Amino acid sequence: MKRIIYIILFVLILALLLKSCIRRDIPDADISKTNVLKTENTVNYPPPAQTVTLDGIDYLQAQTPIGKYGGELITSTIGEGPKTFNIFSSKDATSSEMSGLMYDALFSTNPQTGAVEPKLAKNYEIKNGTVYIVNLRHGLKWSDGAEITADDVIFTWNEIILKGLGNTSIKDAVTIDKKLPKVIKTGKYQVQFIITKPFAPFLRIIGAPIVPKHIFKDVVKKGAKEFDLFYSTNTPPEKFVVSGAFKLKEYVAAQRVVFERNPNYYMIDKKNQKLPYLNKLVYLIVGDLNNEILKFEAKETDIISLKGSNVARYKAKEANSDYKIYNIGSDTGTMFIVFNLNKRKNADNKFYVNPKKQMWFNDLNFRKAVDYAIDRKSMVQNIANGVAAPLFTAESLNSVYLNKDIKGHNRNMALATQLLYKSGFKYGRNQKLYDKYDNKVEFDLYTNAGNTEREALGVMIKQDLEDLGMYVNFKPIEFNSLVNKMTSTLDWDMIIMGLTGSPLEPHDGKNVWYSNGSLHLFNQRTSRDTKDDRLDFEKELDTIFDKGALETDFKKRKELYDRYQQIIYNQKPIIYLYSPTRIVAIRKKFKNIYPSPLSGVIYNIEEIYEDKN
Amino acid sequence: MIKDIIKGIFKDKFATIAFIVLIFLYLCLLFADVIAPYTKDFSDRNLSYVPPSPIFTIDENGKISKPYTYNYKREYDKDLMQTVFKLDRSHKYYLKFLARGEEYDFLGIIPMNRHIVTVDENGRLYLLGGDINGRDVFSRLLFGGRISMTIGFLALLVLFPIGLLYGGISGYFGGMTDILMMRFAEAVMSIPSFYLLIILAAILPANMTSTQRLILIVLILALIGWAGFARVVRGMVLSIKNSEFVQSAKMIGSSDLRIIIKEILPQTTSYVIVAMTLSVPGYILSESGLSFLGLGIQQPDASWGNMLKEAQEYTNILYRPWLLTPGFLIFVAVLSFNLIGDTIRDVLDPKSKVR
Repeated sequence: MKRIIYIILFVLILALLLKSCIRRDIPDADISKTNVLKTENTVNYPPPAQTVTLDGIDYLQAQTPIGKYGGELITSTIGEGPKTFNIFSSKDATSSEMSGLMYDALFSTNPQTGAVEPKLAKNYEIKNGTVYIVNLRHGLKWSDGAEITADDVIFTWNEIILKGLGNTSIKDAVTIDKKLPKVIKTGKYQVQFIITKPFAPFLRIIGAPIVPKHIFKDVVKKGAKEFDLFYSTNTPPEKFVVSGAFKLKEYVAAQRVVFERNPNYYMIDKKNQKLPYLNKLVYLIVGDLNNEILKFEAKETDIISLKGSNVARYKAKEANSDYKIYNIGSDTGTMFIVFNLNKRKNADNKFYVNPKKQMWFNDLNFRKAVDYAIDRKSMVQNIANGVAAPLFTAESLNSVYLNKDIKGHNRNMALATQLLYKSGFKYGRNQKLYDKYDNKVEFDLYTNAGNTEREALGVMIKQDLEDLGMYVNFKPIEFNSLVNKMTSTLDWDMIIMGLTGSPLEPHDGKNVWYSNGSLHLFNQRTSRDTKDDRLDFEKELDTIFDKGALETDFKKRKELYDRYQQIIYNQKPIIYLYSPTRIVAIRKKFKNIYPSPLSGVIYNIEEIYEDKN
Repeated sequence: MIKDIIKGIFKDKFATIAFIVLIFLYLCLLFADVIAPYTKDFSDRNLSYVPPSPIFTIDENGKISKPYTYNYKREYDKDLMQTVFKLDRSHKYYLKFLARGEEYDFLGIIPMNRHIVTVDENGRLYLLGGDINGRDVFSRLLFGGRISMTIGFLALLVLFPIGLLYGGISGYFGGMTDILMMRFAEAVMSIPSFYLLIILAAILPANMTSTQRLILIVLILALIGWAGFARVVRGMVLSIKNSEFVQSAKMIGSSDLRIIIKEILPQTTSYVIVAMTLSVPGYILSESGLSFLGLGIQQPDASWGNMLKEAQEYTNILYRPWLLTPGFLIFVAVLSFNLIGDTIRDVLDPKSKVR
C-alpha cells in the first residue's frame, strides 16, 4: 500500500516537472499604457514676496494663492535625527535643516532665478562693493514677544560668528586675506557690513540666520564648550525663542521631531492673514531608505524623495493615488572618478604614487582615453534606473553657473585607443596595455564599500577600462579608510567619489579647486609641501577663483566660471560621470507647492496649506 | 566508524535527502565552469536586471520544437520612467548542449570552452536573470558558492586543532594549569566578535584582495571561536583521564603529550565529528552576513552573501525576485548540514537519542 502511494507521488512530481518544461511560445499581447500622468518639468512660480507695512510693522507678503489654516505636514529624515537645535553649532545637514526652520535668515534665495531676496531683512544696498547696508524690518518680534533689532544682528555676528563659536564655516567663508569683516550698528534697524575689498559671495553669506541676543548673551560668555551644548536636543521646547515660521514642540529621540506654528511670524498672505497656514510640521526619524518608503506607503508621511526603481513603481501608481510626482531636475550631487596626479614624496621620502603610475596619470592623453572609454549611458540606464543625466562639467546641472557650451561626448573606444597610441602606449599579448617603457598598465580603483551604487559603478568602470587593455584592481574599502587615503596617506591611484556642491555659488568649491585646498583631491598638498609645483592648469584655476571672488557682476563672473569648467573638462583631473535627477512625491491635498531645482520642495513651508477636499 | 555514519545517514530519510543535496551542490560548485553558461565576470550592459530567459518547447504554431529562447530587448519608457524588457521575437536561439561558449580554465588548469548548456554567441541565456551590471545570476551563484561553501571548512582547520589540544592539555593536567587555561579561554570567549570584525574591516590593509580578506577574517573568527569547543573537550578529557587504559599508558612511561594525543583525544572523535558538521553552517551564515554588511567578499567577486545584498532594496524583492536565489541556496545548504549533523549525533551517541 505504502509503495503505491510513493509511486503515485513520484509520478505526480515527474508530471509536474515535465509540465514546467513544456512551455508554449505565445506572443504577448500589446499591453497598452493605462493612465500614465506626464511629469511636468515646468512650474509656474508665483511672484516673489513683497514688503507690506501695516500699523508700522513691515510684513513680508506672500504672493501665492490664499490657503486654509490647520492641518499638518509629515515628512521624514533618514539617520539618527538632529544632534542639536543650535543653528550655529550644528555640523550635520539634519540639524541645520531643523534649526534653520526656527531661525530665519536675513536673505533667502529666489527658487527660480537663484537671486538673493530679502527675508528677515527689509532691503539692502551695496556701496563700492565693500560696504553692505542692511535695513531690517520694523516691528518684528521673536516668539517670546521681544523685538528683533539691529542689536540681535550685531550680537550674532560679533559675538558668535566672528568669535568662531560653534561651527566655524561661516567665519572661514568671510575671512578674506586673513581679515574679518566689520559689522557695525548704524541705527535701531540698520547694520553695516564692511569688507576691505569686493567679495562676490559675501552677500549670500551675510544672509545667515540671526539668533536672539537676550537668550544667547549669557551663554556666549561661558566659552565654546558651553555654547556647543546650548539649545541641545535635551532643551525643553518652551525654552526656544525663534524667528522662523515654526517652533519646536516636541522631540522624541530616534522617533520624531514636531514643530508648531509660530504665531508671531512676520509673513502674511494676500488677505493680510498671518502665515504659516500649517499647524504642525512633523519629521519622522527613520532608519533607512526602505523604511522611509514604507512609511510613505502606509500614509504615515506626506512627502518622499524617490530614487532608482521606486520612481517607476510610484509613477505607475500615480494616476490612481493621492500623491503627485514632481521632477525637480538635476540634483546638486555629482559622481566622479578622480586621478591621483600627485608627484611628491611623503615624510619617509617615498613617492605617494608609484613613479610609473605618476607618468600615466599626468599624461593628458591617458586621462582623455579613460574619459572616452567610460560608458555613461549605461551607467545612467543601469545604475540610476534612467533617473539621471550624464555629467561632463564640474558644476552640477542645476547650477546657475553651468557652462552650457560643454556638450560632452559619447563613448568612443577608437578615439581612446588612438589617444593612448599617441602617448606611446602599446598592446602586448592578450590585448593588454603596456606603456612605452614596457610597464603593464595596472592600477587600483577604490570606492567605499557597502554602497551598492558605487560598487556597481566600479564594476562597470573596471570593465570599460579593461576593454582598453588596462588592468584595474577594483577595491571597495571601508569609508573611513578611504577618507584617510584621500586626505592624509595619499597612496591611491583612482577613486570613485561623489560630492555635493552649491548650485548658486561656485566659490563654495574653493577647497576642491584651489591648489592648496583642503580637499584638492587630484593633487592634494599637505602642510609640508611648500614648494610651488603647481601644474599650469592649477595656476589658472587659482587665478580664476581669486578673480571670481572679487567680481560682483554676474555676467563677468559667469565667464570666469565657464572658463574653470572648461579647464576641468579639457584637463580631466576629475572625470564626471552622472548626476541623479530628483523625483519627489507629495500628497495632492497640499497646495502652494512650487518645487525648484535650486531650493527643493518645502522651502516655502509657510505658504503650503492642506486642502482636505 | 565512517561506515556507521554513512549507514546511519541512509537510514534516516531526511538525512539521506540532505546528504544527496549537499553532494549535488558541491559537485555543481566543482564543475561550475562547465555548468555555468557564462564566466563570473561576463556582463551585457543592456541586460541590467533582465528577467530570466524563458525557454520554449512548443513553438508559436503549437508544434513541439527543440528548446529555444529569445533575447530580451530593453526599452526606456520616458513617461513611466521605467525600463521595460520585451522579448525580441525576431530571432530564435536554440539551446545547445555541450557546445562551445565562453573560454575558461577547467579546475584552474585545463583550458576549455564547452558548456553543458549555452546558446549562439549573440543569444543570451540567463537562466536566473541578470544583476545590476547585467551579469548572469545563475553563473555567479555557482562561482559565488565556491567561496561561501568552503569558507567554513577553512575555519574548522584552524579551530579544531587548537581547541582539541588546548582542551586536552587543560583537562589532563588539571589543577592550577586547568584553572589558568580555562579562565583564559573564558576571556577569549567574551571578546565581542562583531565589533572586532568592524574594526578589522577598517584597519586591514586595503591592498588585499577580497578573498584574502575574507580568509583572514574567518581565520580570526576561528581564533576566537575555539574557546567554547575547548571547554567541552576539557570536560570529556577530565572523565577519560582516569580510565584504565590511560593509567596503563602512564605506567609504561608514555610522555604526557603522547598520552593526550594518542590515547585521550581519539576518545572525543564522535563529539568532534558532530561539532564540526554542526559548525559549518554557522560559518556559511557568517560569511553571508559579513558580505551582506560589506565586510566580506567585495564586488566584482561573487559570494552568496554579497549577491543577496543586491536584494536588500525592497523594490528588488518585489520586481526582481530572482535576486533572492542566493538566499534560498544558503537556506538549503544550512538546513542540509544541520540535518546531517543531527543524524550523525544520533548514530555516534545512541544514548542521547530523542525518540
